[in-house]
Amino acid sequence: MTDTPEGPVSAGELVLSLRGISKHFGAVSALTDIDLDVHAGEVVALVGDNGAGKSTLVKILAGVHQPSSGTITFRGKPVTMPDPSAALTLGIATVFQDLALCENLDVVANIFLGNELNPLQLDEVAMEIRAWTLLNELSARIPSVREAVASLSGGQRQTVAIARSLLLEPKLILLDEPTAALGVAQTAEVLNLIDRVRDRGLAVVMISHNMEDVRAVADRIVVLRLGRNNGVFDPDASNQELVSAITGASNNAVSRRAERRRAEREQIGRGQTQEQRP
Amino acid sequence: MTSEIKHDTSASTALDRSDVRVKHATGVSGRISAFLDRVRSGDLGSLPVIVGLVIIWTVFTSLNPIFVSSSNLVNLLFDCSTVGVISLGIVCVLMVGEIDLSVGSISGFASALVGTLWVNQGWPVALAILAAVAFGGLIGSLYALLFNRLGMPSFVSTLAGLLAVLGMQLYILGSTGSINLPYGSNLVNFGQLLVMPDWVSYGLAALPGIVMLVTGLRTVNRRRAVNLSARSVSGLIVRALAITILLELIIAYLNQSRGIPWMFGLFVGLVVAMNYALTRTKWGRSMTAVGGNREAARRAGIKVRSIYLSAFVLCSMFAALGGVLSAARLASASQQAGTGDVNLNAIAAAVIGGTSLFGGRGSAYSALLGIIVIQSIASGLTLLDLSSSLRYMITGAVLAIAVIVDSLARRSRVSHGRA
Repeated sequence: MTDTPEGPVSAGELVLSLRGISKHFGAVSALTDIDLDVHAGEVVALVGDNGAGKSTLVKILAGVHQPSSGTITFRGKPVTMPDPSAALTLGIATVFQDLALCENLDVVANIFLGNELNPLQLDEVAMEIRAWTLLNELSARIPSVREAVASLSGGQRQTVAIARSLLLEPKLILLDEPTAALGVAQTAEVLNLIDRVRDRGLAVVMISHNMEDVRAVADRIVVLRLGRNNGVFDPDASNQELVSAITGASNNAVSRRAERRRAEREQIGRGQTQEQRP
Repeated sequence: MTSEIKHDTSASTALDRSDVRVKHATGVSGRISAFLDRVRSGDLGSLPVIVGLVIIWTVFTSLNPIFVSSSNLVNLLFDCSTVGVISLGIVCVLMVGEIDLSVGSISGFASALVGTLWVNQGWPVALAILAAVAFGGLIGSLYALLFNRLGMPSFVSTLAGLLAVLGMQLYILGSTGSINLPYGSNLVNFGQLLVMPDWVSYGLAALPGIVMLVTGLRTVNRRRAVNLSARSVSGLIVRALAITILLELIIAYLNQSRGIPWMFGLFVGLVVAMNYALTRTKWGRSMTAVGGNREAARRAGIKVRSIYLSAFVLCSMFAALGGVLSAARLASASQQAGTGDVNLNAIAAAVIGGTSLFGGRGSAYSALLGIIVIQSIASGLTLLDLSSSLRYMITGAVLAIAVIVDSLARRSRVSHGRA
């Protein structure tokens, strides 16, 4: 594999750049000609309808799938990621939607899976402390790190998965639906965490269906539709713009309601001006 | 708000005890109730083995008191060691959720190879054993290749291997059909006669307690130093003492007869080494992870194929070593070696001992405990002078019960949120 630049990323550095990425599964084109840039200290939200290719794109970045064509440039050098460990070595950490935890192992073992301290005589005490530190940074509500993951709730598992992705001090974190299974408080915590991660100068790519969450943390919103780029938006973009980019239709429930609201506001405004007039 | 509340917990609370929602067992009664909770939710550990052993020993002793005589038990230990080593290999493949059905054939082939190379060809015995074990490893790597590259289920590939390796065993034994290993040679003495001097066995029996105490105290100190909860020192001392006394009593009883076989010592040594490797090394952690969730292990950067390779190779090597030991035990390498119930006994021992057939759960000690159960049944039935037809039926029933217990416990674990 190509050696990559070591050391901290400089602010605003172009960490990841995709050009013309395509992925075919047999006759199905999951992705066609995807371009994507992610800078250090930036949260890029990847939004799109079901089947838009978001998860496929994340899996390519994580080394789970290999692109059929196109180039991936990581920190200025073209890279290939034949397997997930290659992505991890580069500094790309991923939290998958299905979390990919081993239910038969405890929380500590899951967080350190593949990166155990002291391989010939596992340092359980040091690993447990680091696990608690990571979990406390997340304000996690994990009852015991020595329980098997099978006994944790969905939200707790999400927290464990995120804690695990932070273990290796990655340069880029991919979050696939990080808030989907979380309660209100935990969602807020995860969004806070994403902010904190960005402030530390890391690049974050996050997939979400929740426009509120996206707007809360994203610096840019990249829309995918049917496996193609369908526009890049500012977080200030209106819901209507986003939804029409995602669904490809301007006439939908969101746009109709927005239209109705605007009409109502205008009417009220006109009424008020009329009342003020005399 | 929440973070402020959470960080308010007083500094005296241990890092892992700050969450008030979790029950932590304290004191003796707490530990007992925690144990009962665990059993009820399907986390049986070694409980079925111990219950099974008590039942089996009670029944056989009431039928024939010779069963618990120390001389019979020493013989039992000799017999345990051969299939036990094979069973240790089975634990490895079961940990990753695979199976090797050809361990019996591999053990038979290894004994035939040692007989041919050592007795017929005049190789040094150590070299012959090494060659047999290396050949076992080769067969294991072939299974791994078929599994990793061609996606052949281990169930099928090892079933094919069972026949193929048996054929190789018959081939190298040739028309004579069996090779007698010379009596009085070191290998045969090791398999039939050599026992530890009393002082060695008493000393070794004291070792587990000492190791437990020393490592336990070190862990307690380290955990206390970094503000993690730790077990009580007095409980640790009590446990270490109890285990030492129990082991010394067993040794004293067995030393009334011939004493502890060196071969059994080798077996226990291998079990302890494997237990360390499975629980305290990165490799063992990876084995458990692959058995629990292969895809998660792969995404965590574990080289899943090498893990499967190591499991299959270790299993076949242990099978070959077990074959050499059983050749030493019988002082012959014959066409019958490794056939019959060897396969099933090795697999049954691992499962009875508590290693799951479904992968991701198990321990090296299950080979030790399980093989004692299996050999107790075999020895008891031999003492009762029952025909092999009945012996097969009873051993088969015990295996069926063990697998049923495993399945039921697994179902219960899933419904109680324990993997």
